[in-house]
Formats: sequence, structure tokens, C-alpha cells
Amino acid sequence: MFVDPTRPAPDDISPAAPPPADSQASVPRRQWLRWALTLALGALALIAIFYDVVVSGQGLPYLYQRIQTFVTISLGIFIEAVPFLLAGSIVSGLIAVFVDQSAIDRYLPKAALPGAMVGGVMGIVFPVCECGVVPVVRRLYEKGLPLSIGIAFLLAAPVVNPVVMLSTYSAFGWGAVFVGRIVFSFLIAVVVGFLFSRATPEEVLLPAVCQAHADACCAVHDHDHHQPKAPLGQRFTQSFTLAGDDFLDMVRYLIAGSMLAAAMQTLVPQSALLAVGQGPVVSVLVMQALAFVLSVCSTVDAFLALAFAGTFTTGSVLAFLVFGPMVDIKSSLMFLGVFQRRAVAYLILLPMLLSMLMGIWWNLNIGW
Amino acid sequence: MNLINRPKFQNAVKALILLGLALFLYTRLADGTLFFYINQRFMIYTVLAIVGLVLVAISYRPVGRQHEPNAHDLDHEHVHAHDAAEPHTHHRLTWAGLALVVLPVVLGVLIPPRPLGAAAMENREINIASQPRNVLPAAVRAAAQKSSLDRNLLDWLHAFSASPNAAEAFAGEPVDVVGFVYHDERLDESQFMVNRFIVSCCVADANVVTMVVRWPDGATLENDAWVRVEGILQPGVFDGASLPILSAQRVTPVAMPDQPYLYP
Repeated sequence: MFVDPTRPAPDDISPAAPPPADSQASVPRRQWLRWALTLALGALALIAIFYDVVVSGQGLPYLYQRIQTFVTISLGIFIEAVPFLLAGSIVSGLIAVFVDQSAIDRYLPKAALPGAMVGGVMGIVFPVCECGVVPVVRRLYEKGLPLSIGIAFLLAAPVVNPVVMLSTYSAFGWGAVFVGRIVFSFLIAVVVGFLFSRATPEEVLLPAVCQAHADACCAVHDHDHHQPKAPLGQRFTQSFTLAGDDFLDMVRYLIAGSMLAAAMQTLVPQSALLAVGQGPVVSVLVMQALAFVLSVCSTVDAFLALAFAGTFTTGSVLAFLVFGPMVDIKSSLMFLGVFQRRAVAYLILLPMLLSMLMGIWWNLNIGW
Repeated sequence: MNLINRPKFQNAVKALILLGLALFLYTRLADGTLFFYINQRFMIYTVLAIVGLVLVAISYRPVGRQHEPNAHDLDHEHVHAHDAAEPHTHHRLTWAGLALVVLPVVLGVLIPPRPLGAAAMENREINIASQPRNVLPAAVRAAAQKSSLDRNLLDWLHAFSASPNAAEAFAGEPVDVVGFVYHDERLDESQFMVNRFIVSCCVADANVVTMVVRWPDGATLENDAWVRVEGILQPGVFDGASLPILSAQRVTPVAMPDQPYLYP
């Protein structure tokens, strides 16, 4: 379709891939290097996963069972997330075609803090979970959405939305956990969104997204004149094609993420994590690690957390419920499709730090 | 231009991938193996995803022939799109991207579907009645209302969790449960575990509910074999904690249930 042969391919999903080179001449070699690195990483991961099989000498049938378990878990995460990613992509495609850029300009606040707060509650209007929110945010950035609003939306929407509120309520009832989850998710998202308002789009967004973002900001006003109004059916077709492009683009990160999460589950057994500790501090760290590794969809993680509510501190359960929807293995890989690597690191670290502080504070001041 | 960069090839490949994914999900749905991966309540989303994938795939059909009269409009829009609005939203698939996108389907086809079993147990927390556990009060009530013989392994865990001293309180109750066999290292020859995985969301969050079974021929049962165990509960000790142990009167091999997991 619309091919721009001068642009390098946006296919760097491997965390170990080298940073983009400056000269166009090195593109073939860079791609080759990227392939080799990805393969090497994959091989290393496989060796790591099945190391104990080789050492224990339990033989091929056992190895086969382990592989089957790995495939079942990664397909489980994948199959469970696909509908939500597709829904997010379709919303993104509809936004691309039907939402006018000037609307964002007109209705959303410009200042950083009010912007972040609006972003924090936008999930109530767009009820998306952590897979669906990523393509929507990317599209909104391409429509010129300010950074802080998008970041706050990205982090808060998986919790501050009617579906997740309902599932949290049905698991924990009206109480400290329910209120704490929503309030702290909102607060942390707003704080991180506000911090990101200090950065420029060039520092945060991928070049392709950033370019569209800049174009949208500057082209807002002459955009209205010459937009041809195609027939409605054709515009729907167009938005679905854009949705398909978005889906195929993001699904690569989802696939890599679900396989990584499944591998991590084999490497870091749940039982080992849970055996580590019960203290007011350690329990919070353990539950955060668990949330990161499990990569469970935010619409149902409340039911999962309930199982730990008896044995783990309330602060740590809250940290699981606040941190997990914001950041986990699969969503942080999906962030790589929108943000620069450094920004992704901040997007993982800041919520981790803030929800850790929250959990520890809760344990020490409000009770276990 | 390279084959992969040709617009027509790109569109055809994208449509085929989307259709292939829809077909893959449909086959898993049709033969019931979808329940090896996700909680039953998510089935509706998978159905919607199949419909959505097909619709999106159809949108890639060549527009040239069907919209001949509008060719000028399209051209205009095309140029416009490149000019100002969204020059970078049209994502190109590379060979590497293509390989990654088809990977789940390839893995799913090459490796026959199989629910989590004994091989996955070493990695997980095992829920035995000896541990306190918070569960939905409604689930405890529901479990309490069922008669003993109707309770599955999860119902029993719920019932145990509501009692301060389950080992004594449930002694003598009759049990009839289905699960797969697992031989834990901490058990002796005449014991085995009967287990079900419980899945809240998808298999990534699975953990196990377990009952320790006392059965003289326990060692003859293979890991992962599905059995129906009938017997009565007796106070016992496992790993230093007291808990109800199922003293089996009859152990019969059964086929794997249609839904191998239990849903909380």
C-alpha cells in the first residue's frame, strides 16, 4: 500500500538489538546483525529454560513436556490478549479516520498537570485494558495528543475504567483495597504523566510516531479545509485497514512478550517467589515481581490477587493490583512500539518505584 | 523492489495472516482445545476476535476494481495522507516481522495442544488445605451448600479454608473427585496427589488444587493419568502440617474432562 522505501523497517523488538545507526548505507548489515543477535538471544533463552533438563538427565520425554508447557502458557497469554489488542486497534483505526485533530486541540487542557489528570480519567470513556490501550495511545499521539495526557492515560486506563472497577469490586467488595487500587493507580499515573511533560516528544516517542505528532500539531488548522469526505463505507474500510496495520504492528510485541513471560515463568517459579518473604517491605517487592512476570490481563487480576490476600500483606496485594496493570512483561514490550527505549525504561521504573513506596507506606502506616 | 516491499504483496500477506489467525482460533474453539488456554468466561471474546479479524482482513481487499468511479478521490486522499496527515501510520511488514507474527500459529500447529499437567506442577504453588487462603465468601457458601459427593477439588479447598481445623472437622466425609495424578517427592509409595489446575484468566496464572490420596497401589498410577477417586477423608499429616487426607476406596481411570481446568 503506502510504502516509503527510504524509511528503515520498524522491526526492532529485540531488546538486545543495536541502536539505530545513522547512515542509510549500513541498513543491510544492521538487519543481519539484528537477526543474528535475536537468534543468539533466543538460543540462550532456550538453553537457560531447559538447562535443568539437560543436567538432570531426565531425557527427551521430559524435555518435550516442558516445551509443551511453555507453548501452552505463551499461547494462553496470547489468545487471551488478542481480542483486547484487536479491539484497541479498531478503536485506533476509527480514531484515525473519524476524530479530527482539532478536537484534541480544542477540548483537552494544554497545561501539564490538568492534562495528566484528564488523561488519568480518560479510561472511563475508553474502557480498554493494558493491551488495548497501547495502539489507542499511539494513534492519539499521532493526532497530536500532549505527552503527559497520553502517559497518564496509558498507565491509568487499565485500572480506572468501569470493567476493571467492577471486577475489583466483585473480588474485594467495597473497602480499602478497592478504593486504594483506583486512587493510587490514578495518582501514580498522574505523577508519571506530569514528570513526562518535562520531556520533549523527540526524546520520548519513536521517530515515526513523533513525526506524525509534530505534523499534527502544526497542521491542525489547514487540516480542516482540504480533507476530502469519502463515502462512509469507504471510510470504515479505511479505518479497518488502519486497524489491521496497527494490530499486525503491535501483535509482534505481544507475541515476543507472551513468550518472554512464559519463559520467565519457567525460570522464576511462582513457588520460589512466594517463599521469599512476608515482611512489610519484601512482600511488596515479591508481589510486584509476580505481577510483572505473570502478565495477567487487568480485567481479571483482582480474582487472582484475592488468592494472595490471606497470606500476603495488604500493601503488597495493593502493589500487585496497581503495578501489574501499568507494567508487565507483555505491556512493556508493547511500549517499545510507541516509545524510545529510554522512555520505556522510565515507564517501567517510575511506576515500579512509586507503587513500591505506596505498598510499603501502606504496610507501615495503615496496617498489614 | 524486493518482493516483501511490493504493496500488493504486503496487503495480501497481511490479509492472509489475519485470516490464518482467525482460522487458528476457530479450530481451537471448534475442537474444544481453547479451554486448554483460557478461562471459559473469555470464550465470548475469542468469538468476537474471530469476527473482528475476518472483518479487518476483508478490508485489505483490492479496492481498485470495486471503486473505479472513486479512483480520483482515493488518489487525492492517498496523496493527502502522504502530504500532511499521517505519513507514518502505514506499517510495512518485513520478513522478520512476518516470521514473528506467524509464530504462535506455527507453534500451535506443530506442538499438539495439551493442558497443563504434572510437568507444570514443579513450578507452581500447590494449594493444599494446610494453608490459609482467602476466597470469595460466595464461593465458600456455594461449596458449603453442595453435598459432599458433588464437590470438586476446588469446592473442597473452599470448604477447608472456611474451617479452622479442617483435618478434624471433615473427618469421615465421603469424597468423589476427578483429577490428574502427580507423585510428589514428599509422598511415599502408597500415596499420590490428585490435582486440578485452577485458571482465573489464562494458563499463565494457573495454580493447583490438590488432595493427598492414600491408595495402596498408588505407585502403579502414572503422572498425568486422569482418575476418579472415591473415598473418605481422614486426618493426616503432609510436610509437617495437619490436613485432611483422602483415604481411597476406589480409583478408576477416566478420560480427561472436556474442561480440564476449574474456574474460581
